[in-house]
Amino acid sequence: MSAQKTSQQEDDPLAMLADSINVWVGKLSDIVKRIVDTGPVRSVVNWGRIYSLWPVNITTACCSAEFGAASGARHDLERFGVLPLGSLRQSDLIVVEGTITKKMAKRLRMIYDQMAIPRYVIAMGDCAISGGLFHDSYSIVNGAHEFLPVDVYVPGCPPRPEALEQAIIMLQEKIRKSKVYAQG
Amino acid sequence: MAVPEKPAPVAAAEAAAMSESGAQTLTVSVGPQHSGSGHMRLIIELDGDIIVNVAPDPGYVHRGIEKICEVRNIIKSIPVIERPAIIDSSNLNHAYIKAIEELQGVEPPPRGKYLRSLLNEMNRIMSHLYWLSIYGVFVGHTTMFMWPLGDRELFIDLAEKLTGARITHSYIVPGGVRRDLPQGFAEEAVKRTLYFEKRLDEYEKIFFNNPLFSSRAKGVGVLSRREAVALGCTGPTLRGSGVDADLRKDEPYAAYPELDFDVPTRKEGDSFSRSIVRMDEMRESCKLIRQILKQIPAGPIRRRAPIVVPRGEAYSRVESARGECSFYMVGEGGDKPYRVRYITGSYRNMAAIPVLLKGGHMADMPTAWWSVDYWPVEADR
Amino acid sequence: MSGSPSREDMLIQKIREQFPGLVKEARVVRRSRPEIVVAPEKIVEVALFLRDQLGFDHANGVSGVDYNREARFEVVYHTSSLENKETRDLVLAVKENLPRNTPKAVSLVPVWPGVENFERETFEMFGITFDGHPRLEKLFLTDNWDGPPPLRKEVRFPTD
Repeated sequence: MSAQKTSQQEDDPLAMLADSINVWVGKLSDIVKRIVDTGPVRSVVNWGRIYSLWPVNITTACCSAEFGAASGARHDLERFGVLPLGSLRQSDLIVVEGTITKKMAKRLRMIYDQMAIPRYVIAMGDCAISGGLFHDSYSIVNGAHEFLPVDVYVPGCPPRPEALEQAIIMLQEKIRKSKVYAQG
Repeated sequence: MAVPEKPAPVAAAEAAAMSESGAQTLTVSVGPQHSGSGHMRLIIELDGDIIVNVAPDPGYVHRGIEKICEVRNIIKSIPVIERPAIIDSSNLNHAYIKAIEELQGVEPPPRGKYLRSLLNEMNRIMSHLYWLSIYGVFVGHTTMFMWPLGDRELFIDLAEKLTGARITHSYIVPGGVRRDLPQGFAEEAVKRTLYFEKRLDEYEKIFFNNPLFSSRAKGVGVLSRREAVALGCTGPTLRGSGVDADLRKDEPYAAYPELDFDVPTRKEGDSFSRSIVRMDEMRESCKLIRQILKQIPAGPIRRRAPIVVPRGEAYSRVESARGECSFYMVGEGGDKPYRVRYITGSYRNMAAIPVLLKGGHMADMPTAWWSVDYWPVEADR
Repeated sequence: MSGSPSREDMLIQKIREQFPGLVKEARVVRRSRPEIVVAPEKIVEVALFLRDQLGFDHANGVSGVDYNREARFEVVYHTSSLENKETRDLVLAVKENLPRNTPKAVSLVPVWPGVENFERETFEMFGITFDGHPRLEKLFLTDNWDGPPPLRKEVRFPTD
């Protein structure tokens, strides 16, 4: 735990005091994390995350038509708290909607890297799961899991809006059961 | 998992070019992650606030469909052909099947032709409504986002009753169509089109004859008639600039020779006129749907057609929601085509984007850009 | 139909009269679909005549076709008229044949500006160059595919 003390620090009582305060603060942050990750506090934090999953404003391919329909009047994803609002830095969900070309894959990875933790990935559509209808084409990446950690897969070509709603609910269940600091 | 390497950054020299007046310009990338771009990137050169040059950077959804068609038999290619404009899928499907039928020398029976036109007109409405709702996202008009998507579901229900799928119908096959009208369909469809026409009057009041929108769209993104013709523009982009070209009248196919409708055209060539053209087209489509259901002849819906692409060449085209969707097909016998050249309305209109954005303000870019209804998936194929 | 020539025949006649010997083949494939095969060096002249004298004011598209068994590429320009309402349905195919090992064509962007993107795509998909094109570089394949031009017949799919 304690690093090797230099000869200076061995003699300097102020430095020794600063050192032990650092250790104490470090232990305090561990204690806070432990408190947050138990019982009622974890439920509250996860409750906040579950009901405000904001997706990034990116459409990957044709499944975006059903994502648009799902956000629309009849299916209304907003009642789950899903609202594409603002910059990708304040989004926590990326929905990979449809076929991923190699060109788009690079940008998707850049976007994922810029999102703040915690961040979740839904692979929507057969193409995002395995390449789908276009699996043998020269410009395709066969599935989002090739370069992103996927949380929920939604099969369909395209999946109905109801399937997407169920995917959101499954993701919410997953978050509800997971630790607050699961992603760091 | 393999993390893809990052794309190369734009070189500094490219980023700070000189404009014609000698001032330094700034190059800005808009998209593909942008609430105003869709799945494509525009590389815009700005002189202060004025757009000096636009280079479209397509290819984010390029899936190699022309090559895929060479390795799949013609029936298996139908879902692949439909996907580019998934919201307008039956029009693309129709153009593809028409090319095959021309090579085979097969014509669908009259009832099959009427059913094809019926689904085409429903898709036209569905596509224009989706365009309108995304326009709401671009101009920041939340009601314009919600209402069209809600009314679109009316027609999606009908399409589901008729074909079994919400948007990817795969309904048109060589020789005719797959399914006949279900019971009660005609009455339901007529009711819905009458209701929707009343809604269109409301849209006109609230969305278009509303300074919130009209002051942003009038005079913005002007495309002159001469430019539109020379660049080969098509669809509402062309009709908004004064040319009344519509394949349903100029080269009628399916049931259109026997149907009575107008081709809405506007002269001004700005974003507002293109939007009004689409709205009027939705009205005409409602009239067409009712006519079709009234006049549809009895009889078979499909003729026997082999799963073969005979030796020869065919060029077929159809008026899809975004313009002329054309197929140039070369056959050599067998069940797979030798070459399928697939050009969509959005791909043709890509040429107009630099022209109509140039000279405008950066803030006007979303309004002008989306009024062309450039659907990136359709252009990339 | 016997008797009076069709408008497609008359069109081909007019083009042949203007360019004796340059139009290598011509036929009417089916109604409203005439086609002519032109020598690649003369295609700009023919296209200008079509645009200025016969009213073919725009190009509907440009297609490359790989006839590898005959060691040639074919570039097909489809053109029609928007301003002449009565002949809007007529689409003329203007074809040129290029040797497969050195496919060099001349760009028709000065004639029909709308072909710019189509010629770029034909370049990246087949490797056919268009002399005089303002921006001959990849259009859809940047970051998507680094191999040989994918629409060539020797590029095979794993499922083929």
